[in-house]
Amino acid sequence: MPSPSRSRGRPAALVLAALLLVVPAAAADDAAEYDLAARTILCDCGCHPQSVHDCACARAAEMRDEIRARIEQGQSGEQVIASYVAEHGEAIRITPVARGFNLVAWLGPLAGLLAAAGALVLVVRRWVRTPHGARPAAGGPAPPLAPDDGAYRERLRREVEELR
Amino acid sequence: MLRDLTNAIGHWALFLGLLGAAWSVVAALLGARIHGRGLQRSAERAVLATSGLIAVATGCLVAGFLADDFRLDYVYHYSSTSQPLPYKIGALWGGQAGSLLLWVLILSVMACVMVGTNQRKNRALMPWATAVVGATITFFLVLLNFIEPPFLTSVARPDGVGLNPQLKNYWMMIHPPCLYLGYVGFTIPFAFGISALVTRRTGDIWFRTTRRWTVFAWFFLGTGVLLGAYWAYIELGWGGYWAWDPVENASLMPWLTGTAFLHSVMIQERKGMLKVWNALLVILTFSLSIFGTFLTRSGIISSVHSFATSDIGPAFGVFLALVFFGSLVLLVSRLDNLRSEHRLESVLSRESSFLFNNLILVGMAATVLLLTTFPMFSELATGRKVTMGPPIFNLVNIPWALLLLALVGIGPLIAWRKASRENLLRSFVAPGLVAVWVLLLLLILDARAYLASAGALLGALARLDVYTAFQQFKTFYPAITFALGAFVLATVAIEFWRGVRVRVANYSESVMLALGRLVWRNKRRYGGYIVHVGVVLVFFGVAASGAYQIEAVRELAPGEPLIVDDYLLRYDGYRLVAEDDYFGAEATLSVHDGASGERLGTVLTEQRYHPNLMFPELRETFQHVKALGEAGSPQYAEGVAGLYRLVTLLERQAGREVKTPSTEVGIHSSLSPLAASRFAEDVYVMPLAIDPATGRANFRVFVNPMVNFLWLGGLVFVLGAHLAVLPDARERRRLDAAMALEERSVAVA
Repeated sequence: MPSPSRSRGRPAALVLAALLLVVPAAAADDAAEYDLAARTILCDCGCHPQSVHDCACARAAEMRDEIRARIEQGQSGEQVIASYVAEHGEAIRITPVARGFNLVAWLGPLAGLLAAAGALVLVVRRWVRTPHGARPAAGGPAPPLAPDDGAYRERLRREVEELR
Repeated sequence: MLRDLTNAIGHWALFLGLLGAAWSVVAALLGARIHGRGLQRSAERAVLATSGLIAVATGCLVAGFLADDFRLDYVYHYSSTSQPLPYKIGALWGGQAGSLLLWVLILSVMACVMVGTNQRKNRALMPWATAVVGATITFFLVLLNFIEPPFLTSVARPDGVGLNPQLKNYWMMIHPPCLYLGYVGFTIPFAFGISALVTRRTGDIWFRTTRRWTVFAWFFLGTGVLLGAYWAYIELGWGGYWAWDPVENASLMPWLTGTAFLHSVMIQERKGMLKVWNALLVILTFSLSIFGTFLTRSGIISSVHSFATSDIGPAFGVFLALVFFGSLVLLVSRLDNLRSEHRLESVLSRESSFLFNNLILVGMAATVLLLTTFPMFSELATGRKVTMGPPIFNLVNIPWALLLLALVGIGPLIAWRKASRENLLRSFVAPGLVAVWVLLLLLILDARAYLASAGALLGALARLDVYTAFQQFKTFYPAITFALGAFVLATVAIEFWRGVRVRVANYSESVMLALGRLVWRNKRRYGGYIVHVGVVLVFFGVAASGAYQIEAVRELAPGEPLIVDDYLLRYDGYRLVAEDDYFGAEATLSVHDGASGERLGTVLTEQRYHPNLMFPELRETFQHVKALGEAGSPQYAEGVAGLYRLVTLLERQAGREVKTPSTEVGIHSSLSPLAASRFAEDVYVMPLAIDPATGRANFRVFVNPMVNFLWLGGLVFVLGAHLAVLPDARERRRLDAAMALEERSVAVA
């Protein structure tokens, strides 16, 4: 996956890149396959839900070695993941695959956001079109005043406050 | 003998406290029913007495820790003779019973302040508010008396198990009390909200009276969340700070709804609108505070924070159901009293922008809730267990976060009621141009990568490949974050500049004086803006450190170098240590500029093992090595190496429980503005393993760009929140006017 990088023009980074170029391509492939598996498989230490790659515990180190060994035996990252899923079930993936019922988790929030925003726009527009209460038309007579009305006084106070 | 007495006093204080709290509820309810001032006074005195008794019980448990009274089960599990004094005190909240005790202690102190500050006001709201707070205290005391008692004793034991090593960190000592201050603080606004609904006094008094409580709770919850993140960063050693653990999420959700509440009450204050929504938000926020504890203690969702699945889960479930559904029924029954006094006049208005801000904040909380509880739904619906790790939380929350950031900029500048074309142009053209400029600059700087991502994103959308689409969109997240952050900073700068310009013109003040007075005389408003700046800095820190983190893992012998990004690290050496309650190896690495070789600093990082002192042989050897004197002597080093060998031997017989490993991360932070390209960047070093004989070590090194913006943003947030709650003459005048009106209406009634 291409990702933007920091571009600072660093000699050290160039040296490192030059060194990397002489590393056999197969090793680079292995590293990518290992990375895919280690970032997808859950560390089963029971600490935070972290991938084998991220978790800092001793169990994660053991699992990293296991994954590395399987990659060195010729398995692809996907094959390693599939074998872990076969052994431990779907819960060994750090994140559920985006299909079937899991789409509720993946797309539910986004759908909710769009639906709620749309609904809010409609509601606000309806509110705007149907003014609240007996608001007099411009230039029309004002409604009769009811000085003892608590709600009226409260509204008056608030509006005066607003003008301060 | 004395210890027996102390434990008995603690035990009975909790029981008498329960009776006192229960009476406070009964007396307050009777007082509310028959308008009996005497009964209400009795309820308030019961609250004070209960608080005193809870303080006595807490003191007795702390005394147990200080005296190493390992007959107390709780002390045995969370302390040991070698535990340093601060951690003996902090162990009070290391387990479940102590956490509950601390929670109810804080609540009772707040109840006293509530009673004390409302002696001459809010007399119509106080009976029900007292009853709600009293009922919450009663619930916690029922747990402490019958389900999770802290004063259970057993046979005498020579030593205790001790606190989990990862919790032995000063930030961890502060983090839980901070969170509890937040969770518990929301009880008071909730109590007044319920009281307002019951008594049908649904004006703005209840939230004006509790505004400081709300900001207080929101501030401590936010600070607690940040401190937890900081602790995870410096202690857990995985290079990040937020793992989306259920308990972390449980602290974030009420903070999000609390933030929504803080904003939406402004609409009710000014316009008399959103009354139902505000009541709902305070109910949601308090319920979510309780929900987190229920979620993890009930065992329905596993969490690293759950001390153990325990019997308090069902009790919390019942309490939560009563609080939430009871409050909702009450709210529905009062809809007639909650009619808006105004309607919106335009979609383009500050009121609308606040509505959208609320939508985003509550939507984020709902998203976090859905994802946290999704394993339960998945198992119910499909019979399959799934894991919700950090990637899905990060990916799914990005759209919400970006929209929220945009609204942080729009909300404060858009006009109330109806934004005119001039208002929109005047307020948003300049910040909009700044945002577009920043976005284009960032996209152009890495155009090739962004174009590739855009292509991959379109391809994923065409294939309906949801995961890849989210992944590719994430690529754009930092650039959009920086652009929107620049937009917000520009809007805040414009607000400050306009205010200063007016003061300079009207009062002929100097710019600095005008700035100071502007902020001082509008603390709530400008405190809010400063909080917004803090939020932007936090977004910058999260975006940059997440997207541009660089990692290396390498095994080094002492003296060997390692190049990571544009740093050169040299492993200078190691030494073996045995201190406090651990032994291990401490590695020293010098950090240099990769290009010039200039030495930038030194980092110390440790791998520690906390021996299980229940093994007599291990305990004696450990004490012997500690007594050998200063680290560095050959005899001492040989002693520590002997400890390593002994632990390995014992592990073959007894398994992993012989020792508990922990690490101390080494961090070199670049905080000098002179090193602009590295400003706020961390070199983060953690040993995966150190061989005690040769010193060969496997290091995991991260370079985390701009990560210190996160903590810097936290400090700005603290500054802004403090400013917003300082006494303000204008606020006081408004509250007094509202109170006078309320008192007159109470007198008439």
